[in-house]
Amino acid sequence: MMSVENEFDDKTLRERIAENPRPAMLWVAGLVVLMALELGSIAAAVLRVGSVVKFAIGGIANTPSWMAGFVSESLGSIGGTIAYGLTALALLVIAAIVVKWLFVPFSIVDRLGLELGVGKADVVERAIVTAVVGVVTLLFVATPLGAAVDAVIGALTQGLESISSLQTLTSRETIPNQGYQLPDGSWEGTWLGLSPAMAWGARVLLIYAYAFGLLAWFWRGYNVFRNHYREADWTPRDDSVNRFRNHYWGVFGFVVVFVFVVMALWAPALSPVTAEANLYSPYEHEVQYYDEEIEDVASIPHGEANLETRSVGGDSNVGLMSYDKYDRFHPAGTNQDGKDLFTFLAYGSQVSLVIGLLATGLMTLVATALALMTAYYKGLLDLLTVVVSDSIISLPRLLVVLLLSVVFMEANHPIATIYDGGLLLALIFAATGWPLLWRAVRGPALQVAEEEWVDAARSYGQSPVETMKKHMSPYIAGYMLVYASMTLGGVIIGVAALSFLGFGVQPPTPEWGRAVYEGRPYVPTSSWHTATIPGLMVVFLVTAFNALGDGIRDAIDPESDASGDEAGTSAAASGGGG
Amino acid sequence: MSRWRYLLRRVLLSIPVIVFGLTITFVIVRMGPIDPVSAILGPEAGAAQRTRIEERLGLNQPLWEQYIDFMTDMLVPWSFDLGQSWVIQPGTDVTALLSSYAPRTLWLGFWSILIPIFVGIPLGFYAGLNSNSWGDYLASFGGIVWRAMPNFWLAIMLLAFLRLSDKFLFGFRWDTFIVEIDSLVGQPPLDFIAVTDWVSLGIISIPVGIYFSATTFLASFKQILPAAIVLGSSLMGNELRISRTAVLETINSNYVETAKAKGLRSRVIVWKHVFRNALIPLVPVITNEAFVLIGGSVIVEVIFGINGLGYLFYQGAIQGDFPLVSSLMFIFILVIVSINILQDFLYTILDPRVGYQ
Repeated sequence: MMSVENEFDDKTLRERIAENPRPAMLWVAGLVVLMALELGSIAAAVLRVGSVVKFAIGGIANTPSWMAGFVSESLGSIGGTIAYGLTALALLVIAAIVVKWLFVPFSIVDRLGLELGVGKADVVERAIVTAVVGVVTLLFVATPLGAAVDAVIGALTQGLESISSLQTLTSRETIPNQGYQLPDGSWEGTWLGLSPAMAWGARVLLIYAYAFGLLAWFWRGYNVFRNHYREADWTPRDDSVNRFRNHYWGVFGFVVVFVFVVMALWAPALSPVTAEANLYSPYEHEVQYYDEEIEDVASIPHGEANLETRSVGGDSNVGLMSYDKYDRFHPAGTNQDGKDLFTFLAYGSQVSLVIGLLATGLMTLVATALALMTAYYKGLLDLLTVVVSDSIISLPRLLVVLLLSVVFMEANHPIATIYDGGLLLALIFAATGWPLLWRAVRGPALQVAEEEWVDAARSYGQSPVETMKKHMSPYIAGYMLVYASMTLGGVIIGVAALSFLGFGVQPPTPEWGRAVYEGRPYVPTSSWHTATIPGLMVVFLVTAFNALGDGIRDAIDPESDASGDEAGTSAAASGGGG
Repeated sequence: MSRWRYLLRRVLLSIPVIVFGLTITFVIVRMGPIDPVSAILGPEAGAAQRTRIEERLGLNQPLWEQYIDFMTDMLVPWSFDLGQSWVIQPGTDVTALLSSYAPRTLWLGFWSILIPIFVGIPLGFYAGLNSNSWGDYLASFGGIVWRAMPNFWLAIMLLAFLRLSDKFLFGFRWDTFIVEIDSLVGQPPLDFIAVTDWVSLGIISIPVGIYFSATTFLASFKQILPAAIVLGSSLMGNELRISRTAVLETINSNYVETAKAKGLRSRVIVWKHVFRNALIPLVPVITNEAFVLIGGSVIVEVIFGINGLGYLFYQGAIQGDFPLVSSLMFIFILVIVSINILQDFLYTILDPRVGYQ
């Protein structure tokens, strides 16, 4: 070990914080204050993540019996039972890998003092973890333990539910914007009696101020860590971060992406109407307005009011930043059904980002794993991957995606109903998109596999998985980030194009491409906004992701020769022609 | 490895690619969650009809036999059979459909490759030669935004703009400009050229009388122009970006320095040394776009009402004409694979330094 003072000391982060707690405490205190303002939303978010996880686990737990049913159709019940067992075993092995990766940082084989070769030790290690996971699963299913855990989760959920009903700083209720105007011009029901436009504007400002404040606080946290608690004074990553900060085009991309992410996260509070009243069940929610004929306040279901506020050209138009005849404020006008377009757009950004991120995440996972393995093992595996990926690339992407979604949707496959087809789309885009990403990082991966340190790790007895994870993946992670951010734009365009053709995300879930399709006849009329604004959203978001990718590329590798990379991603970035 | 051996290897490697690509198509169409017969017939259909179609398509055989039949029909030259359409134009051979639909797609594809070449590359060269000027910023930024526009949206905006051209362009009317066209969307007339007379010389016949109508040609060009601009939009953006970086790279290279030191005039440097070398990285860009053109032609043809292959594929897919769809997919795979080989071939000619591996 080095004996130089203050450099490469062996202290853990915890010890370093204990030595000098003040900056960390200050930062955490600030974070707690910021979080406390949004406690209700955080609890709601935890609940939502919990329900998604529960749903996913339920779906995965059903696969063995689903497989069994599938196989027993053709091979009889014995085949079905065998398929059940095999699928369950495969799931257990996968679960074991995840458990080992997340919760068991040490080697059980070493602890037990077994003497085995590198390859064998890995297998035994996996087997032990799988067995433990299997036993635990059995315990859950067969003993009252499962019920007990269920009860605990139920109690936790109830607690969270009561917290989630707390009002938060940035919720719609803090600054209500829906009200009605009395004949004397004053507003009832809005925040401080301001006009709905002003109230809505104030809420938008507040939300973005909060979000950027939070972002700034995390940036500060990184700086605190860098200045006070990191063992090295300088790392190469610092230079990358500094380069990115001075890369205006990249920063522009980052800011725009952040604006859209905030829009997606805060969609319920940013939209002037609730999604329930606007998109899903407009006839079950009422709006109050001042009726001049009866000279009193009356109320009408949103659905009925919408019939009078449609933007279909000519005189029937509610444009940008205007009120309709029921005193509802529409920042982006209404659409052809008379619904508020901004609400549609805000929730649409949720859909686009969720599908885009999910698809890109899956793609990145597959492409990284394959790139590492093909670069490490080469040979037959590499050749096979080349053939498979070339074949997938040789199918025109948008056509395959179209065909797949038609096939699944016409058959009413259960997977096509999740998220109104969103999950299916993400899976399809991931399945057809990974070869492009894999190709893009294959070069760098092959390069790093030739490096001396990889050879050294191998001869030192490091297991292949560890070598790939520790010594190869950091090198290609940067490239992956660049290509992933550019691919994301392509996926967003592709999803919108498919929805435009009627085979993407199905109504009532909002999707930008569908808005363009539905507003298409009114572009040459006074209601030009119905199709133009959703399209502009796509343009902004995709441009921003491309800019972000450019910025990251220049930040991690200022010498990179751009021309070669661009040819590879050009097809990806433009979404296969959507 | 010599150039020819390299190319031979390339061609051989493309065989498993085609086979596997076809297999994927087979898996999607025949083993997917929807069965082809009910896709063809719709939900309410008699059992007799079902069995008849199952027999005709060979769906009553075991899956592996279906697979072998499917593959031999497509791949083996002496039993080559693309099959028939079942829903769109029942009973019509796919080859007949191809010959009536493909020309319009080719016409569209031709212009959507040509127009970006004559706009994107000059703009990119301009931006590269005047790097970091306002013109460069404008061209680069425009290219990036242009590329980020979804085709379907761009098409709708362009159509609306042309429809209102007299409002935006002070009385300029697009529909009556030079030649009049009835509608902004619709088929481009392709009968501007025809052979009227043949002369036989032994076994070969030579066309001697050629009919050519300039008006129809112009009308056809005008009809296809907006669609070609939209379809070529991403290609144009890519060409702009890459020709810009390529020019920047060559300008800073040693041989250009040498040429400058020799006292060569800058015009000669630019034409003889910069342009020729900057064109090399553009080859894969243009060939790569074949994917985009084939994929994008669906959207563009649907919006612009052009009865081409993309439109045919779209109709086939949504109406459940899966035999037609899989044959079309095979054609597209063939086109893309051959363009890939062509690209590698061009590369070996243009840049002999490329390694043969």
